[in-house]
Amino acid sequence: MKFRFFIALIIAKLSIPALKITGHNATDFPGKVALKICPDFLKYVAKPKKIIAVTGTNGKTSTANLVIDMLKRFGVVTLNNSRGSNINSGISSALLNGVNIFNHEKYETAVLEMDERSAARLFPYVKPDYMIVTNLSRDSIMRNAHPEYIRWLLEKYVPKTTKLVLNADDLMSCYMLPNNERVYFGIEKLPTDTVRCYNLIDDLQICPKCDHKLKYEYRRYSNVGRAHCTNCDFGSPDYNYSAGNVDYENMKFTFRGPDFETELPIIDDRFVNLYNETALLTLLLQLGYSMDEIKDKLGTVEVVKTRFNHEVVGTMKVYNVLGKGLNAFAESRVYETIVDQPGDKELIMFINDLGLAAHWSENISWIYDTDFETLNVDSIKKIVVVGDRGLDYQLRMLFAGIPEEKIVHVMKMEDAIKQVDIVPNMNYYVLYGADPGSFALGNKQAKALAAMLREKTKEPAPVEQEAPEVPAEPTDGEEVRS
Amino acid sequence: MKIEILYPEIANLFGDLANIKYIMASTPGCKVVGTDLNTKPAFLTEGDVDLVYMGTMTENNQIVAMEHLEPYKDEIRRAIESGQRFLMTGNAFEIFCNEIKDLDDMPINRFPERVNAETKTTQCLGIFDITVKRAVMHRLNSLYLGKYGDLDVVGFKSIFTYAEKNTDIPALFETTRGPGLDKAEGTGEGIRYKNFMATYLTGPLMVLNPKFMIRFLIECGGTNIKPPHMGAAMAAYEQRVEEFKRENLNYIYG
Repeated sequence: MKFRFFIALIIAKLSIPALKITGHNATDFPGKVALKICPDFLKYVAKPKKIIAVTGTNGKTSTANLVIDMLKRFGVVTLNNSRGSNINSGISSALLNGVNIFNHEKYETAVLEMDERSAARLFPYVKPDYMIVTNLSRDSIMRNAHPEYIRWLLEKYVPKTTKLVLNADDLMSCYMLPNNERVYFGIEKLPTDTVRCYNLIDDLQICPKCDHKLKYEYRRYSNVGRAHCTNCDFGSPDYNYSAGNVDYENMKFTFRGPDFETELPIIDDRFVNLYNETALLTLLLQLGYSMDEIKDKLGTVEVVKTRFNHEVVGTMKVYNVLGKGLNAFAESRVYETIVDQPGDKELIMFINDLGLAAHWSENISWIYDTDFETLNVDSIKKIVVVGDRGLDYQLRMLFAGIPEEKIVHVMKMEDAIKQVDIVPNMNYYVLYGADPGSFALGNKQAKALAAMLREKTKEPAPVEQEAPEVPAEPTDGEEVRS
Repeated sequence: MKIEILYPEIANLFGDLANIKYIMASTPGCKVVGTDLNTKPAFLTEGDVDLVYMGTMTENNQIVAMEHLEPYKDEIRRAIESGQRFLMTGNAFEIFCNEIKDLDDMPINRFPERVNAETKTTQCLGIFDITVKRAVMHRLNSLYLGKYGDLDVVGFKSIFTYAEKNTDIPALFETTRGPGLDKAEGTGEGIRYKNFMATYLTGPLMVLNPKFMIRFLIECGGTNIKPPHMGAAMAAYEQRVEEFKRENLNYIYG
């Protein structure tokens, strides 16, 4: 087997310059080659001494990138899979890059975003020292079934030696692997929290110990918040580290630990990213960095103040928004964020999964778990839906109470942007899915819409903006990064 | 019309509850009651329930539901025999079968007496002589096209299980294309025993099939049925039927 491994290693390494010479950007290809030749490649390839894994349903890409960036600020160059996928081929490609042809490891530390659904293929061979679990929530019905199933998979395969960094506000994940060492992060009660659930997804209504009803002290959305059982001693764990006094106006919050309290900048104004930042801080403390050191480095991070990429055309703005088609939980968060933005809006939705449409027919059950009701507000003036699945979205929106006259359905993708009303101060949101086909289409249409608005209003062309990075490695039409 | 949703706090996956919302919106005066785990089902206590509905749930919650229904097993059996109307979607009906046999590992962390970890078998309520086989590392995702009488029925399956009938229980849907109850291509889908109707189809079955919903509600004794947004619902239905009838469409995902 070792011989086979070295053949795989050499051929996969040779494929890297070959890809460069031929102008291909298939970052997972070397990993795929290695696994094809040696299915146990992950077992034999040398790994860095310290492995930090980031997994969970939502936020793992952002969190992993934060960890990579912060460690870099501390002078730690990490082996990572930020340019490849988070399944076994992407992890194999990353680890392949970390060794020479003699399988000698070049890096001390790896930060690996790991697809939670791929636990059975990854964790037998890649044994993290630390693992952040951002959260577990409903995702693709087809791929992930339900969050309890994903938790079961992780519990089955994650090593008992891995120290867990867990979200105490997510009861679905926070009690996983009870015998593993752990530390909890979370966000303290916010003024906007509620007790009642206003979302369609409400996955933890009963106590997992005694089946009695859980009482939520507060909720952020769905089952994210703090709860306790009305019958037994089950309840949300205490925070080891938490964010409080969250102040988006001044972009700062108070970070509390067992023996400190300090004010820190919020580095991204999307609320879900405050969870990611809190997870990052908690991890860094576990790695031995002091709070003063962390604060110092965090001060050099550029604060992200733009929720979505956008282009300004006179008084109008065209936003391109990566939605999470097939993932009702994440898509609902996107709608909340859009509705929270000021001003009137028109939405053009390219959320049909084009990867699936190519050879199958999308299972649209997920849209009946998605809070389309959020979009039933006065500030949303028009919603354009497209294609075969557009009929399903149209019906779902009607059920959500959105007035019929606000919804426009067109069959051809290219006809969608022609349906917008050109109105001063309007905000146009082009939403698209994470599969590469939808992603490319959405970006193209957002640019086309901006160009059309410029042409009609005679506005000058903008300064060129950096295009968003194309997501890597779909899995049969489904995108696994989040 | 009175509908009882059994255990909505756990049996609510995959958009299944949209079925009842659509029925409610279509049936003037429709009353819906949700019965939680710690309450005896209304169809056993009140006797005026026209339809008992239960949706998809997790594998652990199937066991929770079984434990809570166990005391009423004989009463449920009698209610079924006397014609009480039920609709079960997704894996809900498995609770009423003989047993669930795991072919891969058992995806559960609850082990009451009914669960045998050694034989990887879960004893269910045993009302129907049906054996359920579960393979949690092999999820079946498929499209489905079938018939309810003369009506085309479209739907989706996204399941770990299939079921083998040990006695002759009629299917709910005659399959045109796609896997049936036992996973084989073309075999009947679901079961219909007296007025107990169950299908592995998941999600908003009624929304996807407005004509089937109307006929189903008429069979339930519903009158003056007026589904909202019927034009949009029929457009989506007809488009999907046309799509699912295309010969080159793959039915099994992956």
